[in-house]
Amino acid sequence: MTTFITRKHLSRRTVLQGVGAAVALPLLDAMIPAATALEKTAAAPKPRLVCVYFPHGAVMDKWTPKKQGADFDLPPIIASLAPFQKQLTVVSGLENHPAIAAPVHAVTPGTWLSCVAPRISHDPLGGTTLDQIAAQHFGQGTSLPSIEVGTEERGGEGSCDRNYGCSYGKTISFRDPSTPLPMEHNPRKLFQQLFGQGDTANERVAMLKENQSLLDLVSRDAADIKRSLGARDQALLDDYLTTVREIERRVDQIASRDLSSVQLPDAPSGIPSHFDEHMRLMYDMIALAFQANLTRVATYMIAAEVSNQPYNFIGISDAFHPLSHHANNPQKMEKLAQVQAWNTGEFAKFLKKLQDLPDGEGNMLDNSFVLFGSNMSDSNLHNHYPLPTAIVGGGMGKLKGNQHLKFADRTPIANVHLTLLDRMGVPMEKFGDSTQKFVEI
Amino acid sequence: MKTRIASLFLVVGSTLAGVVLAADTKVAMPEQNWHFLEAYCSGCHNATDWAGGAAFETLDRDDVAPDAKLWEEAVRKLRGNLMPPPGEKQPDPASRKAFMNSLETTLDHSSAADVNPGTVVLHRLNRPEYAIAIHELLDLDIDADALLPRDDSSAGFDNVADVLKITPAFLEQYLAAARQVSVEAMGNPAARTQSTVYAGTQAAQQYMYMPGMPLGTRGGMLVEHTFPVDGDYEVTVSGLVGGGYVWGVMDPFTLIITVDGERVFQGQVGGEADLKAIDVQQAVGVGEIDQRFRNIRIKVPTGRHSIGVTYKQKTAAEHNEVLNGFVSVAGMGQMVNGNSGGPRISNLEIKGPLSRAGISDTPSRRKLLVCKPANAAQEAPCAKQILGVLAKRAYRRPVTDADLAGPISFYEQGRKQGTFDDGIQKGVMAILASPKFLYRFHTPPPGTLPGQTFALSDLDLATRLSFFLWSAPPDDALIDLAAAGRLREPRVLDQQVHRMLADPRARSLATNFAGQWLNVRGLELVNPDTNLFPDFTDDLIPAFREELYDFVWDIFGNDRSVQELLTSDYSFLNERLALHYGVKGVRGGEFRKVRMEQPERRGLLGKGAVLMATSYANRTSPVVRGAYVLEHIMGTPPASPPPGVATFIESQEGGEQLTVRARLEAHRAVKSCGACHGVIDPVGLSLENYNALGQWRAKDIDAGSAIDAGGKLADGTPVNGVNALRDYLVGRPDLFVQTLTENLLTYALGRPAQYYDMPLVRKLVRDAAANDFRFSTLVTGIVSSPAFLTDRAPLPPAIKGAVMSANTQPPGQEQKK
Repeated sequence: MTTFITRKHLSRRTVLQGVGAAVALPLLDAMIPAATALEKTAAAPKPRLVCVYFPHGAVMDKWTPKKQGADFDLPPIIASLAPFQKQLTVVSGLENHPAIAAPVHAVTPGTWLSCVAPRISHDPLGGTTLDQIAAQHFGQGTSLPSIEVGTEERGGEGSCDRNYGCSYGKTISFRDPSTPLPMEHNPRKLFQQLFGQGDTANERVAMLKENQSLLDLVSRDAADIKRSLGARDQALLDDYLTTVREIERRVDQIASRDLSSVQLPDAPSGIPSHFDEHMRLMYDMIALAFQANLTRVATYMIAAEVSNQPYNFIGISDAFHPLSHHANNPQKMEKLAQVQAWNTGEFAKFLKKLQDLPDGEGNMLDNSFVLFGSNMSDSNLHNHYPLPTAIVGGGMGKLKGNQHLKFADRTPIANVHLTLLDRMGVPMEKFGDSTQKFVEI
Repeated sequence: MKTRIASLFLVVGSTLAGVVLAADTKVAMPEQNWHFLEAYCSGCHNATDWAGGAAFETLDRDDVAPDAKLWEEAVRKLRGNLMPPPGEKQPDPASRKAFMNSLETTLDHSSAADVNPGTVVLHRLNRPEYAIAIHELLDLDIDADALLPRDDSSAGFDNVADVLKITPAFLEQYLAAARQVSVEAMGNPAARTQSTVYAGTQAAQQYMYMPGMPLGTRGGMLVEHTFPVDGDYEVTVSGLVGGGYVWGVMDPFTLIITVDGERVFQGQVGGEADLKAIDVQQAVGVGEIDQRFRNIRIKVPTGRHSIGVTYKQKTAAEHNEVLNGFVSVAGMGQMVNGNSGGPRISNLEIKGPLSRAGISDTPSRRKLLVCKPANAAQEAPCAKQILGVLAKRAYRRPVTDADLAGPISFYEQGRKQGTFDDGIQKGVMAILASPKFLYRFHTPPPGTLPGQTFALSDLDLATRLSFFLWSAPPDDALIDLAAAGRLREPRVLDQQVHRMLADPRARSLATNFAGQWLNVRGLELVNPDTNLFPDFTDDLIPAFREELYDFVWDIFGNDRSVQELLTSDYSFLNERLALHYGVKGVRGGEFRKVRMEQPERRGLLGKGAVLMATSYANRTSPVVRGAYVLEHIMGTPPASPPPGVATFIESQEGGEQLTVRARLEAHRAVKSCGACHGVIDPVGLSLENYNALGQWRAKDIDAGSAIDAGGKLADGTPVNGVNALRDYLVGRPDLFVQTLTENLLTYALGRPAQYYDMPLVRKLVRDAAANDFRFSTLVTGIVSSPAFLTDRAPLPPAIKGAVMSANTQPPGQEQKK
């Protein structure tokens, strides 16, 4: 049994008396009984999209299958995906050319799902990301169009750059070209984002109502301010008002939903002190959000760019980022591959959770599009080709699975994004530097 | 072209007195500078090669203004000796200096014709500002990190307006925070029973006295907890002893629980009977011991109080082992617990209220409730008064009835459903949720055209000033002066700056400004390998930071020369830190001023925070340290490594163990690497005598050889160790003081310092030099500059012409199908 434990003594956990002092993980065990799952009432399952990003690339010869086509081999880094091979497509030969820039780490995360070269500016301007385009199309029916999740709040030096700023290095999700969405790494705050403040169903409803009037006041005050602003600030305040309206819509949606029969786990107390526990918890929260149909789109950055996290729990005390500069030293590469294989293993556990959740005729994984990869290839070379990329999930029958596809060298990864959007029912002509859709996937 | 249009607007509508305009003045680059460029730069920076995107022959010879950005970049590269790269033909120092001076003078001249004060957009309160504002408004300390999302930062600072965006997650969390903070401030007489668990960390040690605990105690943990109502609460301490091999339990200990430093409970743990119980009965024994420290009842009044758990100190004659709970020595923790679980963590749980006896006075209520209604008729006017006083402070200006209408309707709603206090809580929540509190901005005078420079109103100036110096909203005195229209008077402004610098709130210049400038907020990310550094404990990190903040604040607050940041021979230590540095005679947990005998500990370069921030978990990194000094101390950051190159810096392992120096030398031999590493490495290597935790060392343990901290800086200056590096920096205020100034300007303005600010930065450094580099000279210089006193109305957002692809469309125009 794992308990929520916080690293900072100021972080706290708050539980109701009677519920018990030690609430157990994983969340899913204590969760919504299947019979009351909210999605039951929905007519037909909807697609889900999850994009899981790992920093610092992969040791490619321990990632890339030797065999092409069906029933391919699974090298060590992706060996733990074996149970899902029927719904797994490994794509090789991909490049993200727009990601190439001198301050590598500071632009790598933010370009993974946009495939647009970012403006050299602290005030970011890149591209709307895959997940957000999906969220605009099929995320609007849920209370949260998307969730953005991280494990570490910040990485080491290098995830920011004096010319590019910090925005492209800290998130993989951009709502629009100039609005990076922060990755929430605090499970407690993520929980409140999903279910609202308050400890009981009644309290949550009361607070939602109060939020509606607070939002009215906020809109009026914003309109007041707007009159005394210059043109550009007025435009910024318009963004703010758009946000207010989005929250209003969300609040209305939650308020109209009867959450009283849902037995929720207690809100996590704060940030678990161990990295591995923390990562599992965040995966659990994503699965929970899907199960409760609170969102259909999630992005997850499993470690910060330039993460210096040591993997002590598997006996590797080297910090992740310096280890990734392995200098082609076989021992270091082996250790790095172990780190990467462990990351994939946790991802595989998440896939299992999705698989265990009934959804429509099948399970949640059957209806999901899951992209798993990095926007860097060889961390020692800081390059963006060939990218480690895997697609998992049944994709509502729109993904073939069980294949290792090797495309022409330096095929834009944007083609994969464009293809995924297409299969999710989001028709687009072009995405980033895409050149075509793939019929093969 | 743009600058000239802007100047025209300024002529038309300037509200600034005394601005002399010379829109047609062109300042040419002196002829001899072209010879220099020809001789040393144009070999690569020409229209054929375009190295670094620069070709000097393409620049305007008659006017430096259009290319000012590139010229400033060139000056910076020269100043840091980053160009010409090591290995290329170098100018002699005198001609380099003459060229730099001439370039700078020319640029200063040119910029004087049209000073661009820059533009700061709508500015959202960031996390630390929010927390400090709440403290100022409500006398309440909150943990903003747990309430609000992470802010983006830019140019190293989290108060840069451009990147303080708002997204749904932000807005929701600001609303939630408004609710929680207002409830905490007022107290809650009907609070439900809740349980809050504080996890012990390694920082909760048990071998030294902790400030805030009763004398005669040792270690423990101390938490600040907000109690919603007067009443009974229960404290449970768990995890003191575990099963299996039990550390330290063979001896009896007296555990003490305190409320605000007063002992409210004591109990015994350990000794022969307990040892036997654990040994024989295992979990049952442990359970019985735990039971003694479960549900200990305490009575606490409303508000924030400190709850402590500690041990009674024993004499040296007694066996003085540490007990399992609060094990602080990480290496020891691993030995006890194995690598799997990490050091044992013990929890402090506070549960309650179990009885409710009303709300008693708290600092928050005293601050907030400026009147008390004696009867029902007084309630409404009193509520209006309370909310009016708060709104003035929160909105940073005199408020109107229209401002108060919203909060008052919240009050009325709350009053209708509950008590007067409930009403006030709702009103406070409304004020804290308002964008009038969350945003600061500069209101242009009516009729201001885009691109036109305008003077900040006195009230906007007051806000800018107080967020600069205090990270806080202005106090009543400042608001009143501004409302009276007097703040802009130079004498009044100067008085206010000095008053504010003398106020303890200005310590935020150490914690928020210097903490970010010197990049020491992320020390927790280093995660030292405790196999290599068995002495490392988590409490070292806050101690490092405290030392740095006390040190910086001592210099800033006492208006000393900022050069002393490099040279001061004193620091601020507590026992933990003194032990770490090997300084004798410092006892106890409080920090105090200590003279540092070793010259190696002088100034910023000898501070553990800086040295740890530039290290990895298992070793030092001369590259990271060198680049850090270049960027944060010298202001001449090296370029990033180009993509696609092998980064085999300092990681060759295997057969022969080489020193880091030897590995770096091999790396520099590659020409493309040597161009930057020839500049970076010698700086970092001169700090090699400090290990990854900033401890002094004479030997490289990996290679088994003595540390060689010698080398040559890029300009040929030989340095051997930190003392020589420091001497070099002291002699180059154009590097260190200028870097500090540039960073301070960024922080003051809330926007990154730009190329067009550099003439101002140089002027500030010159003026400071004439005044012994006193800190206040820099501050008053910034505050009285056009960049601070004025703002340029931005041009409307550009409408992008060619849409590159479907996902690059500007906001609001995403494709809809």
